Amino acid sequence: MTERAVEKKDKHVISELEKNGEELLKQIEKKQDPKIELPVRTLSNIYFDQKTKTIKLGDKTSFRNFLNIAHTRKFMQTVLVASEIKKVIQEEATVSIRDLYYALKHTIEGTNENTFEDQSESDPVIEDLEAATNLLREELHLAASSKGVVTGSLKIKDGNDTIDLTKMGSGGWGVPSNVEPERIEFKDIDAEYVLFIEKDAVWKRFNEDRFWKKNKCIIITGRGQPSRAERRLVQRLNMEHNLPVYALMDADPWGMYIYSVIKQGSISLSYSEEKLATPATKYIGLTTQDVEQYKIPKEVTIKLNQLDVKRLNEMASYEWFKKKEWQEEFANMKQKAVKLELEALSKKGIRFITEEYLPDKIKRKDFLP
Amino acid sequence: MAEKEIQKTVSAEELAKDFKEHSVAEFFKKNMQMLGLTGKIKTLTTIIHEYVTNSLDACEEAGILPDVEVQIEELGEEFVEVTVKDNGPGLTQETVGKALGQLLAGTKFHRMIQARGQQGIGAAGCTMLSQITTGKPVKVITGTSKSKAMSLEITIDPKKNQPVISNLVELKKDFRGLVVKARFKGVKYVNSEQGPLEYLRRTAIANPHTKITLIAPDKSTTTFNRSAKDIPERPIEIKPHPKGANVDEVVTFSKSTQAKKISSFLKSEFDRMGDKAVEEISKGVSFDIEKDPRTLEWDEAEEIVKMFKKITFIAPRTDGLIPIGEDRIKKSIESIVQPEYMSVITRKPQVYKGGFPFLVEVGIAYGGNAGRLSTETIQVEGETPQQVRKIEIMRFANRAPLLFDTGGCAITKAVQSIDWKRYGIKDYENTPLTIFVNLISVHIPYTSAGKQAISDEDEIMEELRLALMDAGRKTGMYISSKLREQEKQNKRKIFMKYAKEVALALHALTKKPANDIEKKLLDIVLHKLKLEEEQGITDEPSEEEEDAGKKKKGKKGGKKQKLFDEGGD
Repeated sequence: MTERAVEKKDKHVISELEKNGEELLKQIEKKQDPKIELPVRTLSNIYFDQKTKTIKLGDKTSFRNFLNIAHTRKFMQTVLVASEIKKVIQEEATVSIRDLYYALKHTIEGTNENTFEDQSESDPVIEDLEAATNLLREELHLAASSKGVVTGSLKIKDGNDTIDLTKMGSGGWGVPSNVEPERIEFKDIDAEYVLFIEKDAVWKRFNEDRFWKKNKCIIITGRGQPSRAERRLVQRLNMEHNLPVYALMDADPWGMYIYSVIKQGSISLSYSEEKLATPATKYIGLTTQDVEQYKIPKEVTIKLNQLDVKRLNEMASYEWFKKKEWQEEFANMKQKAVKLELEALSKKGIRFITEEYLPDKIKRKDFLP
Repeated sequence: MAEKEIQKTVSAEELAKDFKEHSVAEFFKKNMQMLGLTGKIKTLTTIIHEYVTNSLDACEEAGILPDVEVQIEELGEEFVEVTVKDNGPGLTQETVGKALGQLLAGTKFHRMIQARGQQGIGAAGCTMLSQITTGKPVKVITGTSKSKAMSLEITIDPKKNQPVISNLVELKKDFRGLVVKARFKGVKYVNSEQGPLEYLRRTAIANPHTKITLIAPDKSTTTFNRSAKDIPERPIEIKPHPKGANVDEVVTFSKSTQAKKISSFLKSEFDRMGDKAVEEISKGVSFDIEKDPRTLEWDEAEEIVKMFKKITFIAPRTDGLIPIGEDRIKKSIESIVQPEYMSVITRKPQVYKGGFPFLVEVGIAYGGNAGRLSTETIQVEGETPQQVRKIEIMRFANRAPLLFDTGGCAITKAVQSIDWKRYGIKDYENTPLTIFVNLISVHIPYTSAGKQAISDEDEIMEELRLALMDAGRKTGMYISSKLREQEKQNKRKIFMKYAKEVALALHALTKKPANDIEKKLLDIVLHKLKLEEEQGITDEPSEEEEDAGKKKKGKKGGKKQKLFDEGGD
């Protein structure tokens, strides 16, 4: 975007925020209980869009009232976040969501209470504002923290720097929070697919073995539940360069859920999943069916606990998990009552996962949709 | 063994004499348990009870507002000296012996009268106890309004059960009242719920016309001032009602009656006994009821009691019962417990087992100094920690505190049987409540010889429960309204503290003056709370934000989100 365009965009965002403030003021002038209308960001107000194959936010909204004992603190926090974002944009800065939290945190006069006790209080309020104003985090001059790393046969142009992702040593390239095209460009891609790995430790094993070189791929991890940046990066690689995306997760409800977030999005960010989700992602493993297929010894499996079963049942009811293959996998997991960690494959040899399991899976196209 | 050897040389006559001389003392020792003298703590409380009860009775009989001072001094390990001083009518040289030097002299057996406290050991029993534990006499100073004060020492001749007075000295000073100073071993002063201080505190509460002072072993003085200036009416003795009589009583009364015939004996000794009833009894028994009552056999008395059970009598008269009264209980609790709120109920007399009139008085005090101080503490930010107050149940039988056998008592059971939650008292055991319960009766049904617990007769339980529920309802209403008020204040505080933050942020967004916005917000808060109060609404705050759309939000959705949606940003 040109500088002018950016300036225009910022003005629009500021006026959007001011409009919300004026609306509240109008209610106060009328001696009404001021309330903020927000999209409902729960399972009940999301749907699976068959066209885009992503989770989308429905049109249900709820009110956050000042004069409701259960809402009033959040109401205060919402107004505070809005005013701080306006300030940040006016100062032409971009801050992390943690900066924002600290900037707003202070003791409320005459009390021992802080405006925000924890970043976990300000983060959801930011998401509320994004959803309510229909503005992206980047447009609000906010940067989410990212924690993922990536290596593979490609170069990255980040501003004026060009980074060769084949020369990142053992640590990999840290994914920055803003990976939008105006900031990050891809160069010299010599990969055939992207491998999204759940766990950092497993990613390290793959990187150490230079798996990406032997198998012509890009390997990335979000270190658990990935943040937006990793997901956006993968989405761009998939959409702009047509690279297939494979997910390598633990065979447990948590790993499978992370897969679903990569593939079609999360409930809380449902308002912007079109820009984050990669519907073409395929689940390469692990599955409980692998246990027999690859003769994985019983003793390295873990027993399912009650919470696992509960999560399994919930996931089985999600629309995007309704596919036959997934329902079979859930049934199999429940019936065997076991789960399996990626690291468990080390039982069959340190390089079993990189040299046998994965190449075989890809060769046989043994994926879950 | 050596002693036994020597004893062999003692003649049988001497042995018999020896036995007789010790018989009263032996009897006393053997029956200590029955007389309430078990345990070091309970014994001291019983001693205080005996002296104080005597003082109060004497004052009331003489129409004097009682002023009693109790001093307890520790002389050694489990060795105390008790001094009780009153402003009563005093005792003469003749009466002092009977009161303090003759066991069972003023026996109340078979008397149907509302008597304060239990038929315990009496003051003479204390003299005996002092004698057998220390070997020392009891010192007395007494003065009446007619004669000079005198001091004397008294012991009991165990052989004759007669007082032995020594060191009698006439004093020059004017004094009206009685001072008793006695020493005891094997007793212990503790400042617990069963100790003398609590005993006297409760005695003061149930006897608002008295002033009671305690000087404890550590020299600390506690005074419970009187809150009523009138002496309660003396209860009158009533004749036993036939429904409450047992065979033993009928036989005993028949031996001492002035009546010449059994028929007239029945009419003169029993309440509600008319000609018609006597005629029915006459038809129902196998002997002639016109014979001399002194010839009445046990079997015959059994027949009479059987007829008592069969025949319908008018309920016993209840005018012999003198309650403390709601106003006096209120004033008394106000003065000694100093609660924030209380509700007092004196119920109408009822009858249990068909023959015994009784009535129940209940006071429930809340807040302030009500309740028992527990060892738990609570600390409000910025203040010093405070001990938590919990429920305290004060039991009384004819105004005398019952401190022991709590669990087995009908009063405790009645309190526990109430569903306090129904009255807005959520956790009654941990609520600062003082529950005062006085059972008035001409015959208190104790569970055991210890006379510290009331047996749970159906009619008594029913009355206790009704009174507790009545007072509980009122107290509960007060507590609820107080909690509502607190909640309102809390709400106000919460909205107020955020108002400024909101105003500043809106100022940043809109440029309107923050002061103005804040003032308007505060107006809205006050208006809303006022409206709520008027309409009596206490809106349950909804955890979830209210729906703007038509569809109802699924609760399940929220949960699922929490389980899973932990990231993605």
